[in-house]
Amino acid sequence: MCASVKYNIRGPALIPRMKTKHRIYYITLFSIVLLGLIATGMFQFWPHSIESSNDWSVEKRSVRDVPVVRLPAESPIPERGDLSCRMHTCFDVYRCGFNPKNKIKVYIYSLKKYVDDLGVPVSNTISREYNELLTAISDSDYYTDDINRACLFVPSIDVLNQNTLRIKETAQALAQLSRWDRGTNHLLFNMLPGGPPDYNTALDVPRDRALLAGGGFSTWTYRQGYDVSIPVYSPLSAEVHLPEKGPGPRRYFLLSSQMAVHPEYREDLDALQAKHGGSVLVLDKCSNLSEGALSVRKRCHKHQVFDYPQVLQEATFCVVLRGARLGQAVLSDVLQAGCVPVVIADSYVLPFSEVLDWKRASVVVPEEKMSDVFSILQSIPQRQIEEMQRQARWFWEAYFQSIKAIALATLQIINDRIYPYAAISYEEWNDPPAVKWGSVSNPLFLPLIPPQSQGFTAIVLTYDRVESLFRVITEVSKVPSLSKLLVVWNNQNKNPPEDSLWPKIRVPLKVVRTAENKLSNRFFPYDEIETEAVLAIDDDIIMLTSDELQFGYEVWREFPDRLVGYPGRLHLWDHEMNKWKYESEWTNEVSMVLTGAAFYHKYFNYLYTYKMPGDIKNWVDAHMNCEDIAMNFLVANVTGKAVIKVTPRKKFKCPECTAIDGLSLDQTHMVERSECINKFASVFGTMPLKVVEHRADPVLYKDDFPEKLKSFPNIGSL
Amino acid sequence: MQSLRRKSLWVALSASWLLLILLGVFPLLRPAVPPRPQPGASPGWPRWLDAELLQSFSQPEEPTEDAPPCPRSPHGGHCTWGTCFDTSRCRDGLKVFVYPAAGPTSEMHHRVTASLEGSRYGTSSPAEACLLLFLSLDTPAGGCSPEPPHWNSGRNHLVLSLHLAPCPWASQLGRAMVAEASPKVDTFRPGFDVALPLLPEAHPLRGRAPGQLWQHSPQPGLALLAVAEKMGRWRPADVHSPPVGWDRHCEQDSGAEPTLPGERPPNATFCLIPGHRTEAWRFLQALQAGCIPVLLSPCWELPFSEVIDWTKAAIIVDDRLPLQVLAALQEMSPARVLTLRQQTQFLWDAYFSSVEKVIWTTLEIIQDRFFGAPTHPSLLWNSPPGALLARPTFSLSPQEFPFYHLQLGSRPEGRFSTLIWVGPPGQAPLKLIQAVAGSQHCAQILVLWSSDRPVPSRWPETAVPLTVIEGRRKVSDRFFPYSAIGTDAILSLDAHTNLSTSEVDFAFSVWQSFPERMVGFLTCSHFWDEARGGWGYTAEMANEFSMVLSTAAFYHRYYHTLFTHSLPKALRTLADEAPTCVDVLMNFLVAAVTKLPPIKVPYGKQPLGAAALAPGGPGPEPQPSAPNCINQMAAEFGHMPLVSSRVRLDPVLFKDPVSVQRKKYRSLEKP
Repeated sequence: MCASVKYNIRGPALIPRMKTKHRIYYITLFSIVLLGLIATGMFQFWPHSIESSNDWSVEKRSVRDVPVVRLPAESPIPERGDLSCRMHTCFDVYRCGFNPKNKIKVYIYSLKKYVDDLGVPVSNTISREYNELLTAISDSDYYTDDINRACLFVPSIDVLNQNTLRIKETAQALAQLSRWDRGTNHLLFNMLPGGPPDYNTALDVPRDRALLAGGGFSTWTYRQGYDVSIPVYSPLSAEVHLPEKGPGPRRYFLLSSQMAVHPEYREDLDALQAKHGGSVLVLDKCSNLSEGALSVRKRCHKHQVFDYPQVLQEATFCVVLRGARLGQAVLSDVLQAGCVPVVIADSYVLPFSEVLDWKRASVVVPEEKMSDVFSILQSIPQRQIEEMQRQARWFWEAYFQSIKAIALATLQIINDRIYPYAAISYEEWNDPPAVKWGSVSNPLFLPLIPPQSQGFTAIVLTYDRVESLFRVITEVSKVPSLSKLLVVWNNQNKNPPEDSLWPKIRVPLKVVRTAENKLSNRFFPYDEIETEAVLAIDDDIIMLTSDELQFGYEVWREFPDRLVGYPGRLHLWDHEMNKWKYESEWTNEVSMVLTGAAFYHKYFNYLYTYKMPGDIKNWVDAHMNCEDIAMNFLVANVTGKAVIKVTPRKKFKCPECTAIDGLSLDQTHMVERSECINKFASVFGTMPLKVVEHRADPVLYKDDFPEKLKSFPNIGSL
Repeated sequence: MQSLRRKSLWVALSASWLLLILLGVFPLLRPAVPPRPQPGASPGWPRWLDAELLQSFSQPEEPTEDAPPCPRSPHGGHCTWGTCFDTSRCRDGLKVFVYPAAGPTSEMHHRVTASLEGSRYGTSSPAEACLLLFLSLDTPAGGCSPEPPHWNSGRNHLVLSLHLAPCPWASQLGRAMVAEASPKVDTFRPGFDVALPLLPEAHPLRGRAPGQLWQHSPQPGLALLAVAEKMGRWRPADVHSPPVGWDRHCEQDSGAEPTLPGERPPNATFCLIPGHRTEAWRFLQALQAGCIPVLLSPCWELPFSEVIDWTKAAIIVDDRLPLQVLAALQEMSPARVLTLRQQTQFLWDAYFSSVEKVIWTTLEIIQDRFFGAPTHPSLLWNSPPGALLARPTFSLSPQEFPFYHLQLGSRPEGRFSTLIWVGPPGQAPLKLIQAVAGSQHCAQILVLWSSDRPVPSRWPETAVPLTVIEGRRKVSDRFFPYSAIGTDAILSLDAHTNLSTSEVDFAFSVWQSFPERMVGFLTCSHFWDEARGGWGYTAEMANEFSMVLSTAAFYHRYYHTLFTHSLPKALRTLADEAPTCVDVLMNFLVAAVTKLPPIKVPYGKQPLGAAALAPGGPGPEPQPSAPNCINQMAAEFGHMPLVSSRVRLDPVLFKDPVSVQRKKYRSLEKP
């Protein structure tokens, strides 16, 4: 606002004393020209991607134009899949040696059309889903077009559905790939394995050492830690939009929606329905639908017609039975509907079971227990069911929703095996976003009381108040558990006093000179800090007694993951102003402690210096204020815990500094501090501070007990 | 003047026009240059012009599958839980029969058998048992014991061996589950067998071999890496000279028992351990020392891998890329190092620190596989206090436990239930009921009538529901998980306790910050009595405390479940026989779970002295019995779990010289 006003004032002065009419004319002309110039300039430097990127960077061709490769009848066939393969024996990690940022690089072979000796095509060139899958990989960070740098190779030979394949010829096509090398580091995606009559649970195409991302593995064919079990993609995921339905009881308790169910199981299901009446619904295909109606999208029970998959949202539990194959696309539909899948398929390896915790989203029932399924499900508490419903929907959103999601999750799993030290954690895979957002993982979670013998390091930040500094040093050195004293000399224009002038104390004293006078220097993780406990103390805090400090250290030992300080402060929500307000003394609650004297774990120094969110650190240094509030925010945010205020002390009032003009100074101070709280809360995106009503005192504080028998008799005053 | 200015303006104007035209024309010329893919830009997977026309991989229209009958018979050598374990024998939960040892038994064998039989799992009849346990705890010195009598090709059997190389008949992959130390990856049947840790020989049966981590973060100057060397030594290593030259041939691994010399534990942040099976014991050594294990392609299955998420405590890497691994260790963020270190200690303490814990964990894993039975969610296994102390029978939702609020972003409930125990004198605590009911957080009052006198028919009118439960005159009754308790927090009181509403409110506000601990008004402390050579405890006023009395304390209702269903029967009997012990026992239990001291809040009246220890008031119990029970409990727990504190939590303005009008908890300060 300010800037534009200024220009308006200065603008006319450029063309002084001209007639108003001319002036207007010229100004208009000039501005047109200027505008034109700017426009052309913009056009010049604008990246020309909008209209031309597709033409230049990615080829745009027809699938029908791909080169044809003739496979001689006698061309080699790979060995059958090696069941003993593990990453260590069959995977060549050396190929992944030069991948930066702990990310594998994936190469995709270009699309070819394979024909046999007679010119008959080996298979359909590529399916819509496989095309989507390769596009997703190509668009991801994993992709490389440099075959020499690749760690993983994905053939463009589509084997998603074994039914459409000529097995021998497909294998021959694989074997002639330029880097095949017995299939080492090759990844095949297959969702519908096997074929009649015995329906193998893994792709029948001989593939030697190639990794298989397969839908419908059984424990016999799945090579744990080598293959990846993936979902069978349901095209309905893209076709039908099912809005998320909140968890809770639904119309049907148990529902079966599959059409091709083995007669034996069908009997079991019908028996269940007969026994439990309205709470169980068993659907089948519709026999009497009028022509043209999409039979995939309809299900019937007797003469009642239901829309599929919408009907799934009416049920709490949905049966996912094995068909001829173990992997069923219905699993995806069921998850999408937020219905808890009841998986009845012995030995089925659930999708992404290497990383996903299916116990949280499904119930797996052995086939022989099928008749008991109702009572089994009834024993699950309602709260648990609701969690499972939420979890089911989240699994679908994250890992089932699209071919892209399936492809990227598969690559992530393989990536995590190769770079285990950079792997994604259980929580990241399994916790829904709502939980991730609210949860806190305390970096100091182990319940542990550090030994007293370790002591603490006192860090005194000073500028030039040498006399006061020396008094602080003398006072602090009286504390029994002090193990080292570190003076941070923040004045670049003045040298610290001569060595001989410093007070002689019983512990090592180190002076660190800083390069810049910044408040954040007090929270720097200096190498000199050897103890876990740090006491940050200002160079004018001389009122704290030795008992008070020693007790503070003892309290820190019992709460080593918290800020332990003396005067407490509070943040409050100001309903009139609609923002946070800083509150000083005399409240019944605390949410912060001043770091003019506070104990904390040295790890928080590291966090403050290197992991402070947003621009808070610079902001603090620029304003020369609120470093303590920033520290309180940081610790509360990372631990989820409140501060501990120790002893009755309410303020750091030094005897010398009598109130100069206390009140007005206080006023601006409070406004500034309130501003800090609002600023930090907006950077953190939340208010991490926790309010408590307690402070820590020695056990016998103010109890009727002989003072001389108390451990900390001189605990100080307000 | 005027014209000059006008001229210059014109010049400027025309110059600008010229520029505009030039700039405008150039881009028009450019398309004449044929578009070429820029070198270096990745072409990627093509966008097909006719992608819309591609067919789906599956045609849902056609009935793709007419389901054939499916093979149900168990596959050759593969046993899975579903096919080889007969769960129909386990209708009453996991009942375990332990085979008596055939040959000469060791002390260890004897004691493990005894503790199993005394546990909730134990049964003495093999016909009743759901699981038949064959223990082989000692190194098989000479030959193997013969097949056990009820073998039945191993169905429902668990062969538990704490050492490598179990008897051949057991490992021949029959239908018996094998729980073996560091099993080979190739023969291990996931979900059926159980992988045990390779314990050192002098491992304590009970209690805990303490973890060696004393502080959260690595102390400065600590070596980054220690490398396992021959002869059981650890060598501090330089990350720049990678340790190479281990030949790894899993196949050549002999089952020979390694020598376990009493070498010093490693002193480093990371411990590099080769993958041989014979080096497996190093893994546990590193774990105990708080040294993060870095395993190079282990040939053996990690202990309890079915439930423990080892990625949180160890780094398992490919031994073919040692340089990358070392670089990754150096670059690892301090936050990750911190959590890995702490997790090693938590896991050590929760599952590996004693032989008993290893056996309980094994049984717990098998119990978790039972279909329909409540199983531990992963969170319960992998965060403190661990699955042995967080019982899924209490609840399947982690939010209902006191331990996981932070991880789940939830908060403890804002209300509590009062449980008043009325002992032998049998007087209705009318004043106390009024005081407690005055608290706005009180949800209900339960009176546990444990007196011989009849229950009074009239009770005072209170704002909250009041229920009377008739107790069975047993002291341990007060920690029974009554279904009537409807809140997470319990305020446990004695009839003769004297509390004000203010005190109750403040203590509850403190409990909400520490839901996993006991928050109490009256305390006592334990001490080591040199003269008697045993533990003692006292309720005298002291500078520190380690127990709070349940005559007035807040705690989570989960501890009732734990107390009643998890403690060994012997301990509960002990508490019933010597009622002063029941408080000690509860404090032991909570301290063993939290590893932290309880919390003391101020109590307006002066402490009542040692007599307050007896829950029934100054009862007839002779005092001398009391110190003895603390020793019996310490023996039963295997260690002293109590932790002392020197802190009392007071209201922020407690006894400050300011107007009482400012203070929220005023009546706390009345003398």
